[in-house]
Amino acid sequence: MVRINKVKGWGFLAILLLVFLLPATSFAALPDPVLKDKVEAGKSVYFKRCVWCHGVEGGGDGPSADRLFTRPRNFIQGTFKIRTTDSGELPLDANLIKTVTNGLPGSAMPAWGEFLKKEEIEAVIQFVKTLVQDRDFGDEDEEVNVQDFGTNPWGTQGPYHLGVPQEAIDKGKEIFIKNKCFECHGGEGRGDGNPTMKDDWGFPIVAADWQQCWNFRGSRRDPYNPFNIVRTISTGLNGTPMPNFREQITIEDRWNIAAFVNSLCPRKRIDPLANKPVSDFLIKSKYTEGPVSNNLDDPMWTAPYDDHKVIPRADDYEGDQYRSYVAMAGQITRGNRNFKPKVDNLWVTSRWSPEENAVYYLLEYHLRFLSTNPEFPDAVGIQWPGKLQDLFGAEKPYFIYGDSKKPVDLWKAEFMAKDYNPANAPKPEGYDLDLKVHEYIGNGFDAIKEKETEPTVQVVASKFHQGKVRVLFKRSLTNDNKETDVQIPSETFIPVSFMQWSGYDNEKDEHQALSTWLYTILEPPVPDSIYYMPPIAAAIFICFQGWLVWMTKRTRKMWDEGKMK
Amino acid sequence: MKQGLTSFIIFVLGLPIFHNFIFPMFQTSSGLNPARYVGFILFVLTFIIIHLILRLKPPMAMKALFVWGFGFYFYDYVLIPHIPWTLFITYMMLWSIGTFLYISQDAATFKEFRRPIVKTIVGEYKLARIVVFIFLPVFVGFTTYKSLLPKFEEPVELRTVHPAPPATTRVHGKTCALEKTRNPFRIQEQDDYQTAFPFLDVNKDFGKGGTGAQYMKNVTEGGTIFFQNCHYCHGDQLNGLGMFSHVFNPTPANFIDPGTIAMLRESFLFWRVSKGGPGLPNESTPWSSAMPPWEEHLKTEQIWKVILFEYWYTGWHPRTFDTEPAYIGAPVPPGGIGSDPETCM
Repeated sequence: MVRINKVKGWGFLAILLLVFLLPATSFAALPDPVLKDKVEAGKSVYFKRCVWCHGVEGGGDGPSADRLFTRPRNFIQGTFKIRTTDSGELPLDANLIKTVTNGLPGSAMPAWGEFLKKEEIEAVIQFVKTLVQDRDFGDEDEEVNVQDFGTNPWGTQGPYHLGVPQEAIDKGKEIFIKNKCFECHGGEGRGDGNPTMKDDWGFPIVAADWQQCWNFRGSRRDPYNPFNIVRTISTGLNGTPMPNFREQITIEDRWNIAAFVNSLCPRKRIDPLANKPVSDFLIKSKYTEGPVSNNLDDPMWTAPYDDHKVIPRADDYEGDQYRSYVAMAGQITRGNRNFKPKVDNLWVTSRWSPEENAVYYLLEYHLRFLSTNPEFPDAVGIQWPGKLQDLFGAEKPYFIYGDSKKPVDLWKAEFMAKDYNPANAPKPEGYDLDLKVHEYIGNGFDAIKEKETEPTVQVVASKFHQGKVRVLFKRSLTNDNKETDVQIPSETFIPVSFMQWSGYDNEKDEHQALSTWLYTILEPPVPDSIYYMPPIAAAIFICFQGWLVWMTKRTRKMWDEGKMK
Repeated sequence: MKQGLTSFIIFVLGLPIFHNFIFPMFQTSSGLNPARYVGFILFVLTFIIIHLILRLKPPMAMKALFVWGFGFYFYDYVLIPHIPWTLFITYMMLWSIGTFLYISQDAATFKEFRRPIVKTIVGEYKLARIVVFIFLPVFVGFTTYKSLLPKFEEPVELRTVHPAPPATTRVHGKTCALEKTRNPFRIQEQDDYQTAFPFLDVNKDFGKGGTGAQYMKNVTEGGTIFFQNCHYCHGDQLNGLGMFSHVFNPTPANFIDPGTIAMLRESFLFWRVSKGGPGLPNESTPWSSAMPPWEEHLKTEQIWKVILFEYWYTGWHPRTFDTEPAYIGAPVPPGGIGSDPETCM
């Protein structure tokens, strides 16, 4: 056992860092004591920047706490999630510095690295350590065992960490099944395993959605790095039901399981400021020859979620689709506001068919648990400008239910899963949805009316499977209700927005998640001229080249004959 | 010819080596980034010096290619922020004209420049002629193909940054003239309280005439409202990067930026906070602002306290008019004036 208590301050930190970097088994050491000379400076940072969420005494009960999911950290018990030390132990200063610097993605904790000076971050964590009441960083009985994480066996590089061998991923999947990770994280890793989990303070908590790794709290603004997963499996997350698997899983296999978890997360361009995938503000509707398939597993509707510029489409991929990532926010403008939306993105895919005179929108989103209460059904909707023809330029109706002058046309699918109970083991084939489509005209929050005309919007396919909802809307491009229903032209940018309600969390009416106005466009078919125009252009150019040669030769001849000087 | 080939190899190898390995070393994060330009100039000088040392004299056409290529590289990669492509084309046209002037400075150089081109065309450089005459038609065909392929990008919407405020605004039944409205809680110079503690100092006897406690109480209340309502979009750091910020287009205002609250008057903020996106003027539409009209959730005094907090947190000072009472004798707006015409309360 290595005991270090004489060396103070920086030297101490440096040695600990050295210990952490050494690829050896874990060392037991004392925790970093509070650096008393920094506490005052840290206090002034804390009371300007942190107190609003973490509270005056660090109890995680600042003014904003009740309107956040997950809640801000309560420092009093000394429970910190993201560490390199063993489960239940206090963190190192270096761990806390990284947390403050990079923030905790997926929560309200922002990255302070660009906002505060380095000295300020070093000071504020010393003050935070003084807020811990139940434990003492200077206690002789406290121990920290910095874990051994090994090294990345495949030497993959950021930002996307591609090139992990398939064997490692398959091996990881076996370990995932053997250790029953799915009991909390769900069969496909969407965090949909267990609806009853609580944190140490009794607040509800959910398992991480592995398919949205940019929300991993410990992702350190490097979401695709498998190290983050190895660290979490090795150290557990203090204060949550996530244990460590240090004893059960060898270090090599922890890297394999990280490879598996990491392979589930779609490679998207991550906005470095928001720590989320960059939103697609244009949804392209693919032109389809003949009818569009109603089968969600048809190549017409299957496509990788990865950005095709990051991972090129595989050779055996039969389809032609691209998915759009749409970011969602809580509705916090009117009425019963929604500060804790459970869904923060949708994936949208679209096709249209002139033969059918119809357009299709497939809406997909991750939702851990569906509602079982008919009072609060789940729902998802598409909002259009009601009178597209009357809009001038880039004009749009108000983005939440329109306004008195510019109505919106809202297609809303309300549904409950059949034979579903969130506490039961999920059905392997997924759940069919008991679904009803409503069509509304919105002229503002207080003027939302269900249409009285014959319904024209259909949902032709829908499914809930392993924490993923899929709803396929269909409507004719044009219909007879020209006064109320959107008439959809092709090759035109049309504003469109999305809404979503999680019944399990009692979302209803204006208590919802929504997107802002995006654009959609019905792409025209590739013109026939594309097959004959390029050769014609090339042929014309060849003629021009011939003329150039002839002209140059003639000029030269004239020169030689002395006709030109 | 051999000299030309050596020179060409130096150019073709040198540029990628410089671009990928040496140029990144010259990048500093500070605003104007002068190191980039120094790095580029050093690279060009090195290129010239290598030619002088090796006594290389590439043919005129190749020299022209180098000059043109360096110009292209400069405008496309070195110059930051990257200029819009229309401007880029304009600059490159000027650069091409400049290159041509350099070639045609006298008849001899122009002839020298022409010689390899003519030789290629008439077929004296056989291989060059085959390559060029096959490559160009393929290029033309490919460009035609690209231009015929339907391609759609998200439409660009331009908007004014700061809308023109109305003369008066009516909040909670009181009409106030924005020109003379002031924040009733700005009772002290905020710089005196930059290091005071919210929450802790609200009962302390400090500040000028013991008003410090009152000032910090207002800041604390303003911060509380901000962190219960506003941080979702404007961010915990008031930098416009809240949890919901990336959903919206335009993105929420960044108060740290010197171009937002630092150059606005508090009455302007009061109007924007009270009326939100729906209250924006009809001119220069669409604004597409997702800002809620906060008068529906907050009292007038709460709005003023949030504004007080925003300036305290960021350290900016609101813009003010000189003390000259320009509004004396101004007509009373329709609907009357609030009980305190200066604070809209």
